Amino acid sequence: MNELNVEALSRVEGDGGITVTLDGKKVKSVTLDVHEGPRLIEQLVKGMTPADDLNVIPRICAICTLSHRYSAIRGLEKALGIAPPEKAQLTRELMMLGENVESNSLHTFLLALPDFLGYPSAIAMLNDYGDDVKRALRLKKFGNHVMAVTSGRIVHGENPVLGGFGRYPSKKALEEIKLKAHELILDAVRAVELFASIEYPTYPEAETLFMSVNAPKKQYGFAGETILISNGKEVSAEDYKKLTSERVVSHSFAKRSLYQDKPFTVGANARLINMGKRLDGQAADLFKEHYSDRWLKNPLLNNLAQAIEMLWSLEHIPEMADKVASMDNPPIEQPTRTTGSGTGAVEAPRGTLYHHYDIKDGLIEAADIITPTAQNLDDIEKHMKLTAERMLADDKKDEEVRLGLEMVARAYDPCISCATHLVTLKRI
Amino acid sequence: MHKLRDAPGDAEADLKRKLEDIAGEGKVYVLGLGNTDRADDGAGVLVATALKKRFPLFSFSEHDGVEGTVLDISEKDEDAAVLFVDAADLRAAPGSIRIVPKEEIRETEITTHRVAVALMTSLLEKAGKKTAVICIQPKVIAFRADVSAEVQGSIKRLTSVLSDVMSSRT
Repeated sequence: MNELNVEALSRVEGDGGITVTLDGKKVKSVTLDVHEGPRLIEQLVKGMTPADDLNVIPRICAICTLSHRYSAIRGLEKALGIAPPEKAQLTRELMMLGENVESNSLHTFLLALPDFLGYPSAIAMLNDYGDDVKRALRLKKFGNHVMAVTSGRIVHGENPVLGGFGRYPSKKALEEIKLKAHELILDAVRAVELFASIEYPTYPEAETLFMSVNAPKKQYGFAGETILISNGKEVSAEDYKKLTSERVVSHSFAKRSLYQDKPFTVGANARLINMGKRLDGQAADLFKEHYSDRWLKNPLLNNLAQAIEMLWSLEHIPEMADKVASMDNPPIEQPTRTTGSGTGAVEAPRGTLYHHYDIKDGLIEAADIITPTAQNLDDIEKHMKLTAERMLADDKKDEEVRLGLEMVARAYDPCISCATHLVTLKRI
Repeated sequence: MHKLRDAPGDAEADLKRKLEDIAGEGKVYVLGLGNTDRADDGAGVLVATALKKRFPLFSFSEHDGVEGTVLDISEKDEDAAVLFVDAADLRAAPGSIRIVPKEEIRETEITTHRVAVALMTSLLEKAGKKTAVICIQPKVIAFRADVSAEVQGSIKRLTSVLSDVMSSRT
């Protein structure tokens, strides 16, 4: 038996690897092995008050910190019968736009782009693509700034609370954000142009299902009460367990998800496939220009989807900042009950994130968190197996196969730490 | 490798000399990295936070946004050095302090959470800035644990050394 290994997958968050087991040129299996230890956060928050839970939960992740906080808030508010004021909802939308710019800029320019341009890392790109490296840093800095202005800090901000905000952003800060977002739009357009100009390999292509939240009012967005599936179905977020059917596997600390026994994709490509027609502005024009049926089968196009989405986020930040600035600061809404259940579903940059809570007499009785990467893992393995089979059939060298597999895994922008390095090629 | 606990006075003077050599005559910025939720892992942030009181325009940490700070410094038309401070497994006694050569910094450290130190030092050097990475050996990195006595001592000593180096250059 032979093995092709990527023992430590670089340019992803967390500790994972890929093992491909081969019998001659026949691929017996491809596994994405998650080495990160379990976090046990769901057990840790049992018995806590909802307010204390919000101090712990965002620590799951330092990049999707606001997605975790927002998803938890939505689940807890439902459980406690809290209706947040409109200004709170809009400020939450603004913070999610910031997080989207921050995360998508880093992933597209610095983590994914080196693969497609033939460089081992962003450092190696500095001489030839120094301006793009700086673009990434500018965009990330701005995304971080929006997160800090809305939540109070760059990482683990405490302002978003149940029923509203501890403190709303000042009009001056919102005005500054608005002006800066306009300035950075050209940087995001460059990202779209770069990723639209790439010739994406066909090796990983296969049909799959795509899931995302259904943003309200037929708009594009990052939170919703129902989940859209690319087969045309729409399911309540409260039925998330039917959508994810979590299970454990022996080669990984991360749980896996299947929908009706089949792998599926969550992420920017899923959002654009399900809600892309709702985009507006330049992002809508570029989406129409570059969308094709290949989006439905090639996960590498998630990079282009992230670039288009980053542009949309930047185009929407000024409008959202204006709306927030025009409203008076409302008081924090209080719970109307102390016992109940609720599920929050938001779109973290890398896909749908669920937080479910059961609360009894004001304390958390049960918590269930399902991260985007945990939902994507089976789909990643499916597309990696096809990639390995097709590349080996094309007599590609082991090093080329390794890179091909890493590109597929990285395209999903996996956050392995949240889900709980990368390729081993085994030959029988 | 510097082991300040063994011979504090000499080791501090040696470290100061080395950092002054790296810094040259230009301004000195300190950038503290790490996670203060994980005890000693937050050593770099704690050093930068202590220095910020005296050098608010020259000391930054993860809380200020690392990438943006690096980008801003790289675009300044001035002679400058950026000293990164971070906790790292040096395979040394807890609290040991060492200036790690650039060649030993992993390029692949880049993650979805933060741009790699290697990329940031490369970007700064391309813009003509000097860089160094100062590492402290942690003892405890458990979630929400207290900073160990060894690393607390190192934070204090390194802050003092850096303060001396910065005060004559800012």
